Amino acid sequence: MNVRLNGSSSPTPDSPGTTAAEHIRDRLGLTGTKIACGTGVCGACTVLVDGAPTASCLLPAERLAGSSVTTVEGLGGDHPVQRAFAAHDALQCGYCTPGFVVEASAFADAWRAEHGDVRPDRERIADALSGHLCRCGAYEGIFAAVAAACAGEFDTEPDRDPPRADALDKVTGRARFSGDLAPEGTWEGVIVRSAHAHARVRSVHPGGARSETMPQPADGRPVFTDLLGEERLVRYVGQPIAAVAAPTAALARAAAEAVRVDYDPLPAVLDADEARSEDAPQVYTTRAQRRAAPSYGEAPTPPSSWRGNVHGPASTSWRGATAVRRLRRAGERDDPRLVAQEYSTAVQLHTPLEPHVCVASWERDGTLTLRVSTQTVAKVARKAAERWELPPEKVRVVSEYVGGGFGAKNGLSADVVAAAELSRLAHSPVRVSFDRAEELTDAGHRAATRTRVALLADRNGDLAAMSVDSHGDGGVAVGSTTATLAMLVYGRSPRRTRDFDVVTHRPPGQPMRAPGGAPLAWALEQAVDTMAGRLGEDPLSLRRRWDGNPKRRALYERVAALDLWRERPRGARTGRFRRGVGLASSNWLYLMGPKAQVELSVRDGGVVVRSATQDIGTGIRTVLGEVVADRLGVPASDLRVEIGDSSSVHGTGSFGSRTTTSMGPAAAEAADRLRAALREHEPRVPESGPVPEHALKDALAAAEGVRVVGERGRDRWGALSPDMDDLAVGRGMSGAVHVMEVEVDTLLGRVRPTRCWAGLAVGRVYSERLARNQCEGAVVQGVGYALFEERRHDPATGVVLTDNLEDYRIPGMGDVPETEVYFHQEGFEHAAGAGIGLGEVSVVGVAAAVANAVHDATGWRPHDLPIRPDRLIGGLR
Amino acid sequence: MTATARPEELDGALSRLDGTGALARAGGTDLTACLAAGVLAPAPVVDLSGLDELRGVEWRPDGSARVGALTSVGELHTDPGLAGAYPALARTARELATPQVRTTATLGGNLLQRNRCWYLRNPAFDCFQTGGDSCPARGGDHLYGVVVDQGPCVAPHPSSLAVALLAHDATVLVADGRRTEMAVADLYDAADPTRDHVLEPGRVLVSVALPAPVPGERAAYRRATGRSRAEWPLVEAVARLAPADGGSGPVSSAAVAVGGVARTPLRLPEVEAALVGARPGSPLGTGVEEALEGLAGLCSPLPATGYKVDLLRATVRDVLERALDAPEA
Repeated sequence: MNVRLNGSSSPTPDSPGTTAAEHIRDRLGLTGTKIACGTGVCGACTVLVDGAPTASCLLPAERLAGSSVTTVEGLGGDHPVQRAFAAHDALQCGYCTPGFVVEASAFADAWRAEHGDVRPDRERIADALSGHLCRCGAYEGIFAAVAAACAGEFDTEPDRDPPRADALDKVTGRARFSGDLAPEGTWEGVIVRSAHAHARVRSVHPGGARSETMPQPADGRPVFTDLLGEERLVRYVGQPIAAVAAPTAALARAAAEAVRVDYDPLPAVLDADEARSEDAPQVYTTRAQRRAAPSYGEAPTPPSSWRGNVHGPASTSWRGATAVRRLRRAGERDDPRLVAQEYSTAVQLHTPLEPHVCVASWERDGTLTLRVSTQTVAKVARKAAERWELPPEKVRVVSEYVGGGFGAKNGLSADVVAAAELSRLAHSPVRVSFDRAEELTDAGHRAATRTRVALLADRNGDLAAMSVDSHGDGGVAVGSTTATLAMLVYGRSPRRTRDFDVVTHRPPGQPMRAPGGAPLAWALEQAVDTMAGRLGEDPLSLRRRWDGNPKRRALYERVAALDLWRERPRGARTGRFRRGVGLASSNWLYLMGPKAQVELSVRDGGVVVRSATQDIGTGIRTVLGEVVADRLGVPASDLRVEIGDSSSVHGTGSFGSRTTTSMGPAAAEAADRLRAALREHEPRVPESGPVPEHALKDALAAAEGVRVVGERGRDRWGALSPDMDDLAVGRGMSGAVHVMEVEVDTLLGRVRPTRCWAGLAVGRVYSERLARNQCEGAVVQGVGYALFEERRHDPATGVVLTDNLEDYRIPGMGDVPETEVYFHQEGFEHAAGAGIGLGEVSVVGVAAAVANAVHDATGWRPHDLPIRPDRLIGGLR
Repeated sequence: MTATARPEELDGALSRLDGTGALARAGGTDLTACLAAGVLAPAPVVDLSGLDELRGVEWRPDGSARVGALTSVGELHTDPGLAGAYPALARTARELATPQVRTTATLGGNLLQRNRCWYLRNPAFDCFQTGGDSCPARGGDHLYGVVVDQGPCVAPHPSSLAVALLAHDATVLVADGRRTEMAVADLYDAADPTRDHVLEPGRVLVSVALPAPVPGERAAYRRATGRSRAEWPLVEAVARLAPADGGSGPVSSAAVAVGGVARTPLRLPEVEAALVGARPGSPLGTGVEEALEGLAGLCSPLPATGYKVDLLRATVRDVLERALDAPEA
């Protein structure tokens, strides 16, 4: 029995033990179908089997025999759902998109057959798509797209191009991600990881694998490389020890099984509280070890002292002695205007749906090509050149599509190192792709925190003193900045902040979307609400008094006028389901990459936009095209944008909310330079304003081969910091206010966020729909942080238990509020391009807003994240 | 690699399974995951999907039904005949897993799936179920563990359909050399930590028999979860209330079953007894309230599952209020 695949006959799968998803991707080369969770939870692998959406990662390949299968490629591209996804920007990175599109197409077809062209409500859509997860959180767009497709709004080709330049590639499965691009003959690599939380590694035996280089690939014998380095110690379960590669995934797994590691187990400490005790086993014992500790801060960790496993404090203060004295005296007299509280947050995992993956190949001429999923194309290229001692032109890093990152895909991660080393040994390209368990164990996380905050109001209700102490719990990594960020909020009242790191034998944290910001807001914004309660004041009015930031004050004005805020319930609520509304303020640093460059060249009569930046779902590919097009006054569709390739001019890394604010101005400058160059060839090109079509055509024909490079340029009044590795701190901070409505089921302990208003002050917004999408997604991630997400580990061994997307719980379609995003676009006129980043500020206050809403609804204040049913029920007892 | 057989006769399947170490596969959703996670060692697979004897729904003259084990979970709630006759089962089926999984997963496979313990499904650990001699969850992180501790394993039974079928007093037909009818309740043994059901390898669950539908039955299903959908229940409850006068009169008999709390699904006889005489549209009444309070006596929580005592009471209350259209307390 053959398989009918996308309308054509295809041979019957004949390899037992293979899933349908593997068969479709690896044997048939249809890479639109993605494997993300491997356990039927996320839906990225969804295909239609005899018309029914099916998780192909749980379907044995042989089950396809005799059936008719439609993959995303088989939908063509003209399905109303595909058009609607593109038009409503129902996607960001695009990795989950094929699965969503396949399921939604079947749903829309069935819905319309049964109900006619009627819009289904959100609940119905959430039911239908409950088997799908989008980590970027593009759910608002997906709701809108599915409803519109069901209503028949996309039965014909829309007049307008979709807001996102690569939307059509993503909804059709044509977008090829790094792991989709393994050339014929690519070997598969597997990382061998530590089974112990703390051990000295006596020896590592490669099994049957070959570890020495050979002039030629003699045979298909697996190859082996050591990843442990000189210090033969492992400090967490899952730490990379070695890697092997073999011609197939199954052979590679077998080779990994054959590797034997001899350990001398050492005592381990797996809990941050225990790590603080005097007699706890030490994670780092020498000064050199401590200096080499990895960091999850976005900026270099300030030097501070160590005591056992505790690093710090990194202390910052403004009239700190005054603050401490006032707080102490207030405590002694039981001053009701003193709010002193402790809050904790859980470890949050980035878990982008595309895992870390690298396909490495060494060419005959000694060039190393890395197809890697990364937020930092340029940095990976530079670090690779350093590590393998290659001239820069001999390293090429390609990352055309990146399936999300959120801070986790930064630099030479283990997948890259392993793939490159193994490829050199194998004389073949090697692909190393983390499975979901690896991604959820050792691919970075937002550190857990325990934060004490104290606020004192004076007789006028003004902020008289503040102190924040925070202990970051990021495994073997340091880098807490949670407390320090409190220097930047609520005016200039006396305050002291102290950041500590507590290290344990657990996997290292990495920067995650506004590192330090979200846990600070969780503590501080709840303390501010508590103070408002003590003062008998409205939480908005207190913030308007305390917060002098003009941009946020503009947002407060909007909040005051919102129905969501004005018509919120007042007084004690009763009954099982209780509605509450809360708000939280936040800010974030304005960071930029001063070295950003954009190259424009005239090729084949068209303009090509190039830079070594990358689009991780934020939409920079679109923004670059739009900026150049706007500046030249030509349609964006006339341009070709080629990014994600280190052979281009320098592009900024995508972290620190800096991609758009760095790259956008460089693109504008490049466009101006190109205009000048075109004018030399064709005087009819005007000095400013739109370039007439015929003049442009002639100019481009005459200017074939012309190449210009635009630079970002300086802000008016310059930056606040020097350029540190293409990172500088600009003047002014972004601001946000989130207003959240929840409904609390007090019986079963569930919090349901129902509506959210997200107000952002980030200056000029480059591409409105894409920016809104990112802010909507931030609400989704913040809701996950607030309610569901926590890494848990076995207390005896340190093994991560939540190493799958069933137990590590990220929000689905049915868990997120209807979200409205508002942009206040003034206040950054001094910045090049007049607009700054929003990826981080958009997430900082979300969880705190949820907490304040829960308190408003129930009178119970959550102190620990996430707000699980057991905690809520316990709190309401 | 391991071979797969797809016999077309039940006897052929049985002979391939009996004493061979082969694994039986219906929908394959759990089996695939268990093989990938190392819960099961690679072994030849006997694919049951070609067995007609395991398919279809047979309605008997007395109104009862025999539902083939290969019936998909989705069919239990989309098939109008089944959903109309057995609303408690249908509502349970509709809320479990995801649409894709419900399409592929089967009734039989759901009853015989492995539990969701994150120690069982993590290759770093051994436990009673994988040849070990201890339960790492008991002294470890068992946030989602049982609250009725019947020892030594602390993983709740994962089958929501078993909860519903227990409330239906359903039976299953099991084939080895012969055909044996057994109560759903007898499929599970709380005292045996080494497995999640009692069927020996080589036995095949052929079908499930449901008694004749009760006219006017008031049925409800409820699961307590963190997220709104696609999550294993912390606690789940099924209620089937048979009112007098075809729907509007007081309850003449009740069946209430719960899951997520013990190694097996449980019936709640005290609650059932207290429900007799309860009136639709009215508050639950003191007898039922007392029975709900009494549920705490059933519980023997682990250090981290004390919250399930409250949640059990709350979930049962919710399912009863729904089934009775009662105003909330």
